[in-house]
Amino acid sequence: MLTLGPLGFAAPWLLLALPALPVLWWLLRVTPPAPKRQIFPATRILRDLRPAEATPARTPWWLLLLRLLVAGLIIFGLARPIWQPNAGTGQSGPLLLVLDDGWAAAPDWARRMAAAQGILEAAKREARPVALLATAPHQGEADQLVFLPAEEAAARLAVLRPKPWAPDRVVALTAVKALRAANSGGFESLFLTDGLEHGANEDAAPFLAALAEAGPLTLLHAPAEPRRVIAPPVLEGDRLRIKLLQALVAMPGQAAILARGGDGASLARVELALPAGAGSAEAALQLPSEIRNQVVRLELEPEAGAAGVFLLDESFRRRPVGLSAAEDTGADAPLIGPLFYLLRALDPFAELRRGTPEALLARRLSVLILADRELADPKEREALEAWVRAGGTLIRFAGPRLAAKQDSLLPVPLRAGERQLGGMLTWEKPQTLASFPDHSPFAGLVPPAEVTVERQVLAEPSPRLAERSWARLADGTPLVTAESRGAGRIVLFHVTAQAEWSNLPLSGLFVDMLRRLVALSAGVAAGEADQALAPLETLDGFGRLGAPPSGAAPLSARALDETRASPRHPPGWYGPAGAAGEAAYRRALNLSTHLPAPRLMAAPPASARMEALGGEAAERDLGPWLLAAAFALFLVELIAALGLRGLWRPRRFALPALLLLALMPWQASAQGADGSAALATRLAYIITGDATVDETSRSGLAGLADFVNRRTAAALAEPHGVTPGQDDLSFYPLLYWPILPDAPAPSAAMVAALNDFMRQGGIILMDTRDQGSGEGMSPGARAALRRVTRDLAIPPLIPVPEDHVLNRAFYLLNELPGRFAGGQVWVARDQDRANDSVSPVILGGHDWAAAWAMDRNGQHPHATIPGGARQRVLAYRFGTNLVMYALTGNYKGDQVHVPAILERLGN
Amino acid sequence: MAEAAHNIVTARAEALGARLPPLVVRAERIASTVMQGVHGRRRSGQGDAFWQFRPYLPGDAASRVDWRQSARSDRVFIRETEWEAAQTVALWSARGPGMAWRSRDTLPVKQERADELLLALAALLLRGGERVRGFGAPRAFIGRAALAPLAAFLPEQPPIPTDPRLPRHARVVLFSDFLAPLEETRVALAGLAAQGLRGHLLQILDPAEETLPFAGHIRFEDPSGGAPAPIPRTEALRGAYQAALAAHREGLAAAASAMGWSLATHRTDQPPELALLALFQRLEGG
Repeated sequence: MLTLGPLGFAAPWLLLALPALPVLWWLLRVTPPAPKRQIFPATRILRDLRPAEATPARTPWWLLLLRLLVAGLIIFGLARPIWQPNAGTGQSGPLLLVLDDGWAAAPDWARRMAAAQGILEAAKREARPVALLATAPHQGEADQLVFLPAEEAAARLAVLRPKPWAPDRVVALTAVKALRAANSGGFESLFLTDGLEHGANEDAAPFLAALAEAGPLTLLHAPAEPRRVIAPPVLEGDRLRIKLLQALVAMPGQAAILARGGDGASLARVELALPAGAGSAEAALQLPSEIRNQVVRLELEPEAGAAGVFLLDESFRRRPVGLSAAEDTGADAPLIGPLFYLLRALDPFAELRRGTPEALLARRLSVLILADRELADPKEREALEAWVRAGGTLIRFAGPRLAAKQDSLLPVPLRAGERQLGGMLTWEKPQTLASFPDHSPFAGLVPPAEVTVERQVLAEPSPRLAERSWARLADGTPLVTAESRGAGRIVLFHVTAQAEWSNLPLSGLFVDMLRRLVALSAGVAAGEADQALAPLETLDGFGRLGAPPSGAAPLSARALDETRASPRHPPGWYGPAGAAGEAAYRRALNLSTHLPAPRLMAAPPASARMEALGGEAAERDLGPWLLAAAFALFLVELIAALGLRGLWRPRRFALPALLLLALMPWQASAQGADGSAALATRLAYIITGDATVDETSRSGLAGLADFVNRRTAAALAEPHGVTPGQDDLSFYPLLYWPILPDAPAPSAAMVAALNDFMRQGGIILMDTRDQGSGEGMSPGARAALRRVTRDLAIPPLIPVPEDHVLNRAFYLLNELPGRFAGGQVWVARDQDRANDSVSPVILGGHDWAAAWAMDRNGQHPHATIPGGARQRVLAYRFGTNLVMYALTGNYKGDQVHVPAILERLGN
Repeated sequence: MAEAAHNIVTARAEALGARLPPLVVRAERIASTVMQGVHGRRRSGQGDAFWQFRPYLPGDAASRVDWRQSARSDRVFIRETEWEAAQTVALWSARGPGMAWRSRDTLPVKQERADELLLALAALLLRGGERVRGFGAPRAFIGRAALAPLAAFLPEQPPIPTDPRLPRHARVVLFSDFLAPLEETRVALAGLAAQGLRGHLLQILDPAEETLPFAGHIRFEDPSGGAPAPIPRTEALRGAYQAALAAHREGLAAAASAMGWSLATHRTDQPPELALLALFQRLEGG
């Protein structure tokens, strides 16, 4: 290694070739360039003039210099020059490089790798042996920590990736101790740390102490980077409460959480502000349940690796709801079936299953609804009781059967028989609902006045009846009662599930009540607890889902909640083996479920040096750049040499090259213009090539757009000039085309583009600028019009009829003047339903753009002929009608028929 | 393809000739070789137009007596018609790889310019009623429609302008770069002069052949197959070359005038009208 100021050479012996350059100089000087060949008929005359002078032509000095420069650059490039080479640590002993590669290292992994590679590069140059220790546990047996040549360590470093679990400093400590025992001389240590304490105990301090004991210790860390974790969200009714945890940082921060669907689409985004010194922040994700059911993944923004991803499995999703009626046949008969209204109300937000309770409970179920079904079988009752106690929600609806025969699975004891209100033989009127008590899950819902109850089952009065009542009638009798049993609850509606006893099932309130009840139910009740779940897809350290690593092992459903993310069980989706797919049952194992709140590591020992990550300028290898420069110069030299020999014809090569050069940025800008053209509605004019006319067209359309923007709801942007065939016309509703007397016949591409434009509903306003009072202003324009339109697919035209939409799209107009007035304007004769009967061509000669044009001071540069402010106003009104016609088609045309329709209605 | 090229050249030549009045070559010699033509010779001879009555002389054929005129008086008259005659002009343009050359893409090939001028001249002549002959062609070309056959004939011309069948006293116009050795040209001209032909030479050169605009080390190659000439510094030789070319041209002019011929020069970067006008005046006057 040779160092000259900020420049170092890795292979300095190659510089010895530099003295050979003068030899090259001499060689190049004596060799003349080969002659150019030239065919010449008068060669015979030349031949007779054999000159006396026959010295070889000399290579020009600048070409010689160029060649020497190329040779010098190649020599320098091969000598591996390095800009600002890392000084290394200046020591020569063995080096231990410790890397934290847990979840917290993922956000700035690239910087960490760059720093580690820099260190290894320096060690390679200093020929120091290196041991590489990654603190996160990895699959398979931990290798014995040994000192290797730096090249091998670099190869091992290159395959390291951040792991989606936490580093284990205890294991790392034993490895360091073993290394220390094997190397009595001690070693230097570099620790690329994430700065966090990962275990429950203070594991970092003894680890750091062990490193410091073995030799000098340097800590590299990124203090400004907050380490963030999405804590397990909590489901609160319709809302998903999300908590973000972070290690304490002094700076206030911003974060956002994205809710993504199964296809990766972003469904919602919540912003979180993290004040300075805060350890956590909370936000609520309020989504309609239909949308919320689709959310499978919460992601932290900016990306924070595996800890910034939380997978939402079925416990956060659509609840399976079982429905059972006394008689299954006819249970969903329209309007009268006991399950008809329940099915309608629950279908949008729950997964519905039907069958007997026994069959339903065989699968996982969060809610079971029994519509007037007695539970006569004691075994069935026992199974239901056990399910409720394990967390199930049982909702029952009353009815004649329940009124006749009660059982133990009721929240309150009932009186025999039912109470009838407002019947033929009673004085009482049907009762309305009282407002819901505060402890009820229905609190906040407003019972509509038209919901009445005619018949119900009555609860026996008891002291706890009031607290078990979730809804009451206006006279205080309970309508919905509930009781908690174990982890689950039983809810009873004292009316039927169809509109027989009350009209509650007909109201929107019924849907809201059921929705709240289902939302209240706790996820999927445990079933199949011992089933083995194989890893389907797992997260890597960056939070990306992928195929599970080979070491990932299945685990039982019961153990899933207690499992920490580890090499054997990486976070991700787990499910029954062979049941992959979106619809299949799967559970999520999340990293953050068992992650302690991130907290900073204890201070390192006093002897340790602290360095910020990336603080040092990265060394830069200049060799490839020099070689590239040498190659570029060599190309220049080649061209120059060819030029000298006359083989380079600049015109032959330069033109394509220049075209290529000119084309590339032009294409880019054209695409840019296309992109911007699509962002707003705007008018366009066809560029004629005559600067004055084009400027008039531009300012005219700009003036019209300004007028239209002020007077109507349309919002038009600055007009564009277009060349059909080159620019994409599909963004413009209207093209203004002034026909110049010397306009050439359009090219084939232009004709195709314009025909396409008209076929797809665009309107072209052709202006010959010589009609009416402007007769003779533009001689030859009509011939030009004939020439220009020869190949265009223009339909048969007629003068604008009085009742044409163009006359009444916005203003009611009798004439369509521009700068000139009195001429004839033509539109398509036939009504083409395909394009809403819109005329693809409007042909006239009133020089409209000149009438609309406005200069920078807001003045009109072109006087109207015959004149008057009225004509200018009418010109603008025509423009407005035209824009409306172009934007809305024949929408206004329908109003032409209003009198006829009214007349018909009157009769 | 070749026919299309002929048509183009013919059309261009006709357009070129259309700018001049019909060229009438003054017939200078009354000879048996001169065929009947459209212009009167202001003397009696074969023709349609009446010229004069003259008294019958012994030896005149009795059939030539104009009896109607003779009946008006005592003397016998013979009716004479004006002699109308046409001149034959033989045209030749050089072929060969040396002629198919140009120094820049913007210039025409010398061959092309020569054919163009030849056909333009032919068009003028044919419009004037003259007879145009090609070297080696079996028959003369007559009438305006003959221009296309003449153009088609051009590639079949002999490399050296010799044709023993040419009528005496015909006029000859030769189009070439005349860069061949002076002696060869002189022999060819002498052969023609020996046939009693007189004519005109038009030397057509590319501007590069006049100025030698090249520079640097160049190996010049003769397209007609001569030995190449490697020149180390072409720019140093420019003056000498121009002098040599001028000497060659002087020799050519001397050879021509010795036989009563004339020489003119044309460069392909000049408009062809200039050369055509010069030829026109040349043929009309002498």
